[in-house]
Amino acid sequence: MTTAVGNLSIAVQRRFGRQRLRKIILGSIPFAVMIAIWHANTVFDWLPPVFIPPIGDVWEAIFFLQEDCAGFVALVMLDNSCLITTHVFSSIGRVILAAIVGLPLGIAFGILCGMSRTLSKFLEPVGVFANSISGIAWIPLAIVWFGVGWVTTLFIMLNTIFWLMFFNSMLGVRSVAKVYEESVLTMGGSRWDVIKQVYLPGAMPSIITGMRMSMGFGWRALIAAEMIGGDSGLGFMIFTSAAEFKIEEVFLGVIFISIIFMATDKYLLAPLEKWTVERWGLVWRPT
Amino acid sequence: MDDGGREVARARHCCNEIIITGAAMNSMTPKLVVEGLTHYYPDEYTGESVHALEDINLELYEGELVSVVGPSGCGKSTLLNILAGLLPYKIGTASVDGNVIHGPGPDRGVVFQEHAILPWRTVAKNIGHGLEIRRVPQAEREKRVQEFIDLVGLTGFEDKFPHELSGGMKQRCQVARTLCSDPVVMLMDEPFAAVDAQTRITLQEELNRIAMATHKTILFITHSVEEAAFLADRCLVFSARPGRLKEIVKIDIPREQRNWTNMNDNAIFISARDRILASVREEVSIAVEE
Repeated sequence: MTTAVGNLSIAVQRRFGRQRLRKIILGSIPFAVMIAIWHANTVFDWLPPVFIPPIGDVWEAIFFLQEDCAGFVALVMLDNSCLITTHVFSSIGRVILAAIVGLPLGIAFGILCGMSRTLSKFLEPVGVFANSISGIAWIPLAIVWFGVGWVTTLFIMLNTIFWLMFFNSMLGVRSVAKVYEESVLTMGGSRWDVIKQVYLPGAMPSIITGMRMSMGFGWRALIAAEMIGGDSGLGFMIFTSAAEFKIEEVFLGVIFISIIFMATDKYLLAPLEKWTVERWGLVWRPT
Repeated sequence: MDDGGREVARARHCCNEIIITGAAMNSMTPKLVVEGLTHYYPDEYTGESVHALEDINLELYEGELVSVVGPSGCGKSTLLNILAGLLPYKIGTASVDGNVIHGPGPDRGVVFQEHAILPWRTVAKNIGHGLEIRRVPQAEREKRVQEFIDLVGLTGFEDKFPHELSGGMKQRCQVARTLCSDPVVMLMDEPFAAVDAQTRITLQEELNRIAMATHKTILFITHSVEEAAFLADRCLVFSARPGRLKEIVKIDIPREQRNWTNMNDNAIFISARDRILASVREEVSIAVEE
């Protein structure tokens, strides 16, 4: 019996690697504790289901919301009958759109300002001004300008993503050692060669930090924007469900939001960091 | 060359003559010419004008390795930056192969003191960078890159990133990168100052071998008198600030004989080294008194 357990444990350790397994287990403990307390609440009836619904209800809410969905086509077409997937996809769609527009713009302006003192003197104060106003503070104005809908949510997200990306890229470029630029110039490289081959990769540690930050803050801003100025999306769903006291749908929305963000960070941003700055030895990382 | 092979002259009086002798010995036109170069720059903190260089005249002939030594702050790095085209100058002229220097260009390759190879490129991609910038076709580029990887002894490290190399290997990589672009003149700015003593000795011998193999024209800036005497055909001693060409010491030792096992017993080397050292120390004491 003990050898069987021992063998199993060794097999599992071989499969995942000791360190990774340790990391996964340690990271899961707080979640396990949280879920246990949550379940205990239902079992011992500490708080009524109106405040904290049973886990089963939250799970069932997925199927309840998806009940009227008329198959795969309706699901992909973001039909209003497929409630949960439509909300999830419209939030993710907005994040992707804002990332496609906001990240490259922020990086481009950040690099330009990192290179040119004049341009940075010109744009930096505006940046500080814009950054001082939190994303949500723009919502009322955005609703007046763009009405309720996706333009407002996109505007809020862009506002957050662009400036964070701008500042991070600018500081990243300024931290690149001058000798790299000089070495490319002395090999006959042009300004454009310097941007492509020195500033962009040299600022990569900062740019990736900026991406992680701006996606995190952007995602939060989106949820807030959807609550007030949106007509779909997870934030909208949480807000309307709360108004109707469908507490299990609120819980479901929150869980979806965190899972989506954790997945983006783990499967998109972290690998990007590994593939660039870690491979180039620009950051030190404990193993 | 009877006097132990060295040629000593007070710069202000007869430097020009020496340069003429050099030209007579080597009938080719010089690769690098500096005439009447004087330079001032504003101090970073006080904004006061600093007189860095005063009336520098020098010529470098093909295949020659000329070293520049002088007390710190004598403007030797300023001179290199001007020649590299990284620092604009107003007074005097500097030209390579007859073209006046107006900014950086591939006719002058620079080996920097710091680790200047790009951390995000592999060794091979770093060495081929100059050719890549000039859009040399990939097949030809790879062939040339391999040639220089082998020359500097980095075979087997082609796909490594710089952070995986030792300090000495990084500098070899930098030397290979500069050579691979095939510049007219190679400018080296204290390239071995940041590596440990053992590695430095090896790198000096390696550079001697490379100079022999490639027949490059090299201007080598250093603060190490031994290094200057070991490597150079001619050693230029700069005065304390403002930097003037104080003295030129010729070191007439065939490259084949230059290695650290022989050099310490070589009379020409010893006398040249002592002469340079005395000359530099004189300037250092002037600089300290000021």
